[in-house]
Amino acid sequence: MDLMSFMEAMSMNSFPLIAAFFIGLMTALSPCPLATNITAIAYISKKIDNGKKTLLTGFIYTLGRMVTYVLLASLIVYIGVNVQSISFFLQKYGERILGPLLIFIGLIMLNLIKLPSLKSGDRINKLKEKLSEKGYLGAFLLGVLFALAFCPFSAVLFFGMLIPLALKFSDGILIPSVFAFATGLPVIIFSFVLVFSVSKLGSIMGKVQKFEKYIRYFVALVFIIVGIYYTWRIWI
Amino acid sequence: MNKKLIYGIAIGVFILLLVFFVPKYMNGNVTASGETKLSSDIEKVEVYHFHATRQCYTCKTVGAFSEETVNTYFSNELKSGKLVFAHINVDLPENKALVDKYKAKGSSLLIGVYGKDGNFSKQEDTNVWYKIDNKEDYMNYLKGVIESRLSGE
Repeated sequence: MDLMSFMEAMSMNSFPLIAAFFIGLMTALSPCPLATNITAIAYISKKIDNGKKTLLTGFIYTLGRMVTYVLLASLIVYIGVNVQSISFFLQKYGERILGPLLIFIGLIMLNLIKLPSLKSGDRINKLKEKLSEKGYLGAFLLGVLFALAFCPFSAVLFFGMLIPLALKFSDGILIPSVFAFATGLPVIIFSFVLVFSVSKLGSIMGKVQKFEKYIRYFVALVFIIVGIYYTWRIWI
Repeated sequence: MNKKLIYGIAIGVFILLLVFFVPKYMNGNVTASGETKLSSDIEKVEVYHFHATRQCYTCKTVGAFSEETVNTYFSNELKSGKLVFAHINVDLPENKALVDKYKAKGSSLLIGVYGKDGNFSKQEDTNVWYKIDNKEDYMNYLKGVIESRLSGE
């Protein structure tokens, strides 16, 4: 049995959580989520000086994806929002905004664009700083945003397979959560690998920190390249 | 913040969700088998490949393989009008009625069956998406699906 027929069989497993997991894995391997996950991996590897944090960042990115998918599924399952209109809307606009936005984030990272600093409330700013320093908030927002970018194929998997499953069992929470976990799995696995290899190369770490500036440039470049890929696919 | 507490809460929520939803899954399996069966008098079967103006590689493949399947195995049915195949661009206003009728949500392969008694039923086929790596497999599978629809199963 080849991989695809295995994936197909598992995605129709009568236990919906197993089916949701394999539909999610299939999604993770399809072009658009793959591109967003690579971007996320680049973002996570930006800070590799602390193993636990790196690992947690991977999980928080997946949590962000989970929030989006659960929200979408709940809107459809519990509130009865029209699947067709939500699907068309996201396929039309979600992807269109993503490309330019990624390029924009990349340019900010390169310090080519400077954001005006907000000075409303010191406490909020401090909290923001704390969160963004660790990269948790960024990873979470990245997850929320990236999950909204539906390409035709990932839309088939989500709206054509996962949503019918969620509707059948009137479950807008657990089924999409398991699905989301599977879509973020490559990122989680990669952060494990990263943490493992970094701890092996502990002695080099001092040097890695010196190169942090270059790592940031590299990450910014990944953002811009993925952003250009999306923009090119859609606008040209 | 206490990290152990956060992990504890997360695991607790997960277990609660499992307890709440798993019984539902067991019930859902029973009700799922109660689908309506069509009469054996089939007026017409429609196979539509819905797509947006901008198509992904996989979407194009699904369209092309489906068209080839219909042309290879069902040329007689196509001529007699018992089987209809078309690529439908969901972005074009003239296709809106069809898109709404089939409730197409984007790129998809949908099969509609008209009974002689005026019954209409439609079904999205998502299995085809897993078969685009193997054209032979794809065509055999879709041939089987269309045959069974034409014979009223």
